[in-house]
Amino acid sequence: MKQMVAVLVIVTLVSGIVLATVYTSLIPKIRENQRLATERSLGALFSEERNPEFEQVTAEGTTIYRAHSGDGDLLGYAVRVVTTGYGGEIQLLVGISPDNESVLGIQVVEHIETPGLGGRITEPAFSEQFEGLDATREIEYVKNAEPDKAANEIAAISGATISSSAVVSGMNDALDGILQNLPEAGEETP
Amino acid sequence: MTRNPSILSHFSKGLIKNNPVFVQVLGMCPTLAVTTSVANGIGMGLATTFVVVMAAAVASTIDRFVPNQVRIPVYAVIIATFVTIADLYMQAYFPPLRTALGPYVPLIVVNCMIMGRIEAFATRNAFVPSLADAAGMGVGFTGALMLLGGVRELLGNGTLAGFVILGGWYRPMLIMVLPAGAFFALAILMAVFNRLQQGGELVLRRAA
Repeated sequence: MKQMVAVLVIVTLVSGIVLATVYTSLIPKIRENQRLATERSLGALFSEERNPEFEQVTAEGTTIYRAHSGDGDLLGYAVRVVTTGYGGEIQLLVGISPDNESVLGIQVVEHIETPGLGGRITEPAFSEQFEGLDATREIEYVKNAEPDKAANEIAAISGATISSSAVVSGMNDALDGILQNLPEAGEETP
Repeated sequence: MTRNPSILSHFSKGLIKNNPVFVQVLGMCPTLAVTTSVANGIGMGLATTFVVVMAAAVASTIDRFVPNQVRIPVYAVIIATFVTIADLYMQAYFPPLRTALGPYVPLIVVNCMIMGRIEAFATRNAFVPSLADAAGMGVGFTGALMLLGGVRELLGNGTLAGFVILGGWYRPMLIMVLPAGAFFALAILMAVFNRLQQGGELVLRRAA
């Protein structure tokens, strides 16, 4: 009996110490990766030639990045969207043009969708469909049909309708609530 | 088998004769779930190999101190520790692979192939044979996942390890990357495997 308790205590204690050590040594690198992933996603939304610089602002609890070119022109906004897919949370960055009227593109920052199915929301074949859509109207998705860009449609990934529709509905929710509240350029935000 | 099997034979039995996927049929959850591509198969296989080798090393060292009644919780903690280390390491150094494998990395904890090797081998054998056995099982598991991933990626997507093999004329059999395709591919590979094992002779297999 004593030995059982002693062995369990020792094993869990050693395990805890080992994990704490590994965690503290790797966490800066992991955080750095997450920061790089966000930066890469932000950079991909706006044209490289203009050397976009980003400034983080917050409107009604939503993180928004305002993108400026090196010489001060407003390039647009990137809105961080969290939506629920098939496997769990999907985190997106949605790029919006400076006039708030069209979608510049989307980038999937983090997701745990099924690899090979819902996981394909990260592939350009899916995400590039959003470029140039009308941000002032609802975005729709179609299954097994050619999407009509004029009607603000995108094609869902076959076999991954839930993941595809999660991206679309997350974007619709975000665009609805946030567009009106985008901070004006130059406006100070706390 | 000789009376005193060599280190090499401990290692090599996991590759084909006692392959964890095709013969023991253990660890089916990751086998079926993540093998939608070769890259995923290799990643999952190597992470599992790391865990089984490390856990077997620890288990074969401490088994004489572990009372029989608490051996399962003790080994579960040890396995979980190495899985978490592998998970953190992948997040730090291979973020794209970690993203692709998603929730299946933490689920290596419940891969019964690992607990199976510890219960059936590592706790009953010395350190070096346990290492050889675990490494062989890990390599056999990785090979099986690569093979499955390869078949499914080729038929379901027309690519192999990301390179386009079957060109535009090929209409991908989407079902092969869907869950049902995992069962088809596994069944076909297992049939081929059994046939090869029997040396081309048709033998009725009996339950052992």
